[in-house]
Amino acid sequence: MKYAFYPGCVSRGAAPELYDATVEVCSRLGIELEYDSMSGASCTGAGILQEKNLKLGDTLNARTFALAEKTGLPLMTICSTCQGVMSQANDRLKSDPEYLAEINKSLADEGLEYKGTADPRHLLWVLIEDVGIEKVKSLVVKPMTGFKAAPFYGCYIVRPSSALGFEENPDRQDSLEQVIEAVGAEVVDFPGKTLCCGFPIVMINEKNAVKMVANHTTDAKDLGADAMVTPCPLCHLNLDGYQPQAASMAKRPIDLPILHLPQMLGLAMGINPKDMRLNGHMVSTKKMLTKVAVSP
Amino acid sequence: MEVTLSVKRFDPDSDQHSSYNQDYVVEMEESATVLDGLIKVREEVDGTLALRCSCRSAICGSCAMRVNGQARLACNTKLVDIVDSGKVVVEPAGNMEVVKDLVVDFSPFWDKVRDVKPWLDPEGPDPDPDQEYLASNEAMLDLAGVMACIMCGACVSDCTVLEVDPNFLGPAALAKAYRFVADPRDSDDEPRLSDLNEYGGMWDCTRCMQCVEVCPKGVDPMGRIMSLRDKAMATGYTSTYGARHSMAFTNGVRQEGRVDELSLPVLSKGVFNIVEQIKMIPLGIRAQLAGKRPPILPHKNPGQENVRRIFNRLDKHDNSPDRLEIPTAIIGLASPVVLTFVAIIAFLILQFYWNSESVSGLKPDAYQSGSVEPFTRFSYFHNCFWFYCDPETSGSELVVNSNAEAER
Amino acid sequence: MIDHDVLVIGAGLAGMRAALAASESGVDVAVISKVHPVRSHSNAAQGGINAALTDRGDPWEDHAFDTIKGSDYLADQNAVEVMCSEAGREVIAMEHMGVIFSRDDEGRLGTRAFGGQRQARTFFVADFTGQALLHVLYEQVLKVGVRTYEEWFVLSLIVEEGQCRGAIVMEIRTGDIHVIRAKAVILATGGLGRVFEPSTNALICTGDGMALAYREGVSLMDMEMVQYHPTTLKSNGALMSEGARGEGAYLINSDGERFMERYAPNMMELASRDVVSRSEQTEILEGRGVDGCVFLDCRHLGEKVINEKLSQISDLARDFANVDMSKQPVPIRPGMHYQMGGIKTDVDGCTSMRGLYAAGETACVSVHGGNRLGANSLLDTLVFGRRSGEHAANFARGVVERALNDGLIDRENRGIQAMMDRAGEGELFGSIRLDMGRTMNERLAVFRDDEGMRDAVSKLTELRNRFDSVAVTDKGKTFNTNLLFTLELGFMLDCAEAIALSGLERKESRGAHFRTDMPERDDKNWLKHILVSRGADGPIIENTPVIITQWEPQERKY
Ligand SMILES: Cc1cc2nc3c(=O)[nH]c(=O)nc-3n(C[C@H](O)[C@H](O)[C@H](O)COP(=O)(O)OP(=O)(O)OC[C@H]3O[C@@H](n4cnc5c(N)ncnc54)[C@H](O)[C@@H]3O)c2cc1C
Ligand code: SF4
Ligand code: SF4
Ligand code: FES
Repeated sequence: MKYAFYPGCVSRGAAPELYDATVEVCSRLGIELEYDSMSGASCTGAGILQEKNLKLGDTLNARTFALAEKTGLPLMTICSTCQGVMSQANDRLKSDPEYLAEINKSLADEGLEYKGTADPRHLLWVLIEDVGIEKVKSLVVKPMTGFKAAPFYGCYIVRPSSALGFEENPDRQDSLEQVIEAVGAEVVDFPGKTLCCGFPIVMINEKNAVKMVANHTTDAKDLGADAMVTPCPLCHLNLDGYQPQAASMAKRPIDLPILHLPQMLGLAMGINPKDMRLNGHMVSTKKMLTKVAVSP
Repeated sequence: MEVTLSVKRFDPDSDQHSSYNQDYVVEMEESATVLDGLIKVREEVDGTLALRCSCRSAICGSCAMRVNGQARLACNTKLVDIVDSGKVVVEPAGNMEVVKDLVVDFSPFWDKVRDVKPWLDPEGPDPDPDQEYLASNEAMLDLAGVMACIMCGACVSDCTVLEVDPNFLGPAALAKAYRFVADPRDSDDEPRLSDLNEYGGMWDCTRCMQCVEVCPKGVDPMGRIMSLRDKAMATGYTSTYGARHSMAFTNGVRQEGRVDELSLPVLSKGVFNIVEQIKMIPLGIRAQLAGKRPPILPHKNPGQENVRRIFNRLDKHDNSPDRLEIPTAIIGLASPVVLTFVAIIAFLILQFYWNSESVSGLKPDAYQSGSVEPFTRFSYFHNCFWFYCDPETSGSELVVNSNAEAER
Repeated sequence: MIDHDVLVIGAGLAGMRAALAASESGVDVAVISKVHPVRSHSNAAQGGINAALTDRGDPWEDHAFDTIKGSDYLADQNAVEVMCSEAGREVIAMEHMGVIFSRDDEGRLGTRAFGGQRQARTFFVADFTGQALLHVLYEQVLKVGVRTYEEWFVLSLIVEEGQCRGAIVMEIRTGDIHVIRAKAVILATGGLGRVFEPSTNALICTGDGMALAYREGVSLMDMEMVQYHPTTLKSNGALMSEGARGEGAYLINSDGERFMERYAPNMMELASRDVVSRSEQTEILEGRGVDGCVFLDCRHLGEKVINEKLSQISDLARDFANVDMSKQPVPIRPGMHYQMGGIKTDVDGCTSMRGLYAAGETACVSVHGGNRLGANSLLDTLVFGRRSGEHAANFARGVVERALNDGLIDRENRGIQAMMDRAGEGELFGSIRLDMGRTMNERLAVFRDDEGMRDAVSKLTELRNRFDSVAVTDKGKTFNTNLLFTLELGFMLDCAEAIALSGLERKESRGAHFRTDMPERDDKNWLKHILVSRGADGPIIENTPVIITQWEPQERKY
């Protein structure tokens, strides 16, 4: 299994631990990652650039798709936001050949053309659809029995459902829960799991963003969660980074570690937490690690 | 088909003021909707069940409620499509106070709609009573997409921002506002955009897509909010946090192909917005301690010139490729700690020179809006700096301002 | 007590247009509606609104003639002249207020073809014209600051010495009863579709205004004229707009034949509604239907037309008939749709009672006569809404306020309390409504006869007895919909009575009133309106001649 790998900006910026964990976990899952041909791919625009200029955003993503097509490999992401923005762009590009042709004009300068065959998929979906949940289970060496994990999807990997292929792949809708169960942990179902973490407005209206963090983390905590697991590094940044503020807003301690999806997988596969930079979170993961019986 | 409708009930007249779930088992036809089920309950089983409904065809907007946790119109949700082991959970719409059972209080909803001055304000003298305004069918079709809104409140029910901040105008009212801003017959765009720039307005949306997902009429409220932002920036309202964030982000992608996490917060808050910069220090320090250190030096993607070429081609705000460019990373380099140091000194100097009134514009929660209004000296300075370190965006801003001046 | 100069009851198109006009005349206006204004049933109008723009080569007289012919010569021609000559400016005024009409290539208002008319003169907004108009009128009402009482329910009119002085109302949210005193009252409460089951009408169309007026002895006119729309869905009675046929859709029977060829060779699918509905019913009765339906075929229109111009009805077909309109024909059948009759008014909305006005579907100016043309109703609501608003405002200026009887609220409270106090084990209102609706739909539908109508009258008497012991099960005050439905059922029974009695009275076939036992039109004896009102000893039936100005009755062929 080999994939054209699109790590996104954040895993190479403020959340380097996601990158490291992904690399570790993929090697155990037998997933090969093609980096070099994709290294020139730009940011998806994260929905922000699309605000000003949708066509520009679609062109940048078409460029990424074209780069992936050139490798002949399926395209894999590790960020819910990248996933969603790409899926939406792809939806527009594929459904309107005229538009695609128009966009391709801007790619022609560097000799690229997007033919419309790319199908970007998040590691989370790859786990279910390509690797298979049984294989994941078989690689678990330290089952996380008794560990309670609250899933947190991130908006763009659940909405708009029409662009995310839920109809053809209904498993995508509860994929995170399936993975949590596959590693032997228990799912903490809480109302916020498909809601917004608040990250997009943290620079704009911090109070609201922090309140969202407070709501989600305290809800999960109250339901007994030991950690929250997310396939979205942006959600991680907000839920982890702003948790201290959230705690003072909620006037109570929260201390809920926010794991990246591959970090949780890695723990169950016996990867050393340090190799996945579990010590590089704002909210300490120490206590949680003792619970899964690995020394921090 | 036998269906159990599990309805969340609340009776304000009863002694115990709490809600509870009540299960009704009804026999329904395959084509039946949730509303058909509820009507059957109300007419044949339990007359005390309260809900709003009228048209039964998704046009009156009365029957938005949460069905299996998501806001929907009861009248166009077929039971067969959503029963989960024979059961459907029906609750009142969210983010609004429950009056009784499935009836919620819409007054804040309508107040917000009223807040956006939802009526056409045409320009000039009264039009000829025998002649319509001329307008392209295309413009009208775009507006028809928003006019299709039936004011059902499904979007408001599930909006994530409204959940934490009732002051937010919300998707329906903002979509309605867009309808007038985009109407070629309306002359009131600038004041409209100026109002919408304020706290609780267009920049408070998190782009979470809940409203897009639940809207039964394909109105795409979030898309309309994004269009409002674009129009606001193009009109020159560029000094809100939101506008700066958007422009700085885009500029980062333009320059390096990816987000620059160090400079983004600095630029979003405004380089000289000292209070906000100071507030970011603890976070900065914690991030440093945790080892969350984004690369400090410029980290341009390979082949970035190709991305730039695309920008030059398509970015309407940017078509002069040979302008002065200072990598955003340099701003990022001046990480909050360094910057604060500089800023404190600057602040002291400024204090010395300027009266306190002009500095009051820096109140932490102040949403600075309306750069078309006369600059205070301080914000003028800030704009110049912005111009210097980020030629693309602020360049266009200054140009827009002078254009606006010229037009008057 | 609440005081206003003009009180408009109903916030549909007619009501809000009236309120706007009255407010522009400078008096203090309030609108009261049992649902929020934008929830009014006017928003269900999909197809469009008619207007002949004379400067674009469509003289209004042609529109008037089409309307009169469509009415089977029962419309009052002076009223039709007013409506058709003022139509153009009315539509353009709505455009100026902000309605987003579909445009042609030059950016001017575009039109589509509608049934019973020789010209494409129907202005439209995709397929949600009514909604677009309604929302814009609400915007205007907000703009001028008319007071709106949303979710307030009118229980009865206040009549003192033969003059209407206001209304007694219930605030639904709290259950509190209030008196609203007004110098003039405009009833704009819309239609009575729910008297029939099934019907294309919304659940709130319960004929309240007609019954309120009827109870006070005000005359209702043309009540026997009930329109069955040719294209309604079987599953829930939902309407598939005439806009589909306007865009070129066919009607076909089980053999795939365009059967309208045999009934209306010139106008085909676009013949007037009574004609098309009868033709369909005949096909079905003669065995060329499937499952009680014939088909609406849009396949040849192509996806683009369907998506752009007929999106809403294609959604309806998908949601409620499980049919993709671009690939399959949709099963449809005639269904109760509109009440041509209503409270008798003149062209200024004045009823037979001083101080009481009526406009919109609840009124009968008589512009529709025996059969309404598609897209004439919205026009009716706007033109006569405006006129009654203006007239009522003028009238109100001359009225001297006077003290009302004490005890009005008590009287109303006692009535309601009596209903609430009835033993809990009585019959629920739902079964009575269903019996009434089915009876009406069987006996007063596309084809009628003496025996059937007589049966309906006696059945209605029986239903009224059952109603008198109906139990209100919800004893609470807050948002008691159970109580509201029971009150509405009372209104509907009154309307049903007026319809059945008028139907029995008209001994000929005309427009929507087709009697299998008297299939011919009889201009010699029946070129007149039937009026019905309630006197002290029961219903009183009278006649009044049809007003003919320039168009002599002819044989009607499409
Ligand atoms: C499905 C459908 C499609 C149609 N399409 C078309 C079309 O394409 N073109 C066309 O011209 N016509 C069409 N019609 C007919 C047209 O829509 C209606 O006749 C017209 O809208 C009626 O408007 P109105 O203002 O009289 O009443 P409505 O819009 O029904 O308003 C009645 C108002 O009265 C209020 N009310 C009623 N009772 C009370 C009470 N007791 N207390 C307080 N308030 C009360 C209601 O709340 C409401 O606000 C269509 C009708 C239907 C059913
Ligand atoms: S996208 Fe914005 S407006 Fe829509 S639900 Fe989310 S936060 Fe609310
Ligand atoms: S935007 Fe959509 S969901 Fe929101 S009120 Fe309008 S129709 Fe309802
Ligand atoms: S009943 Fe009108 S929208 Fe559902």
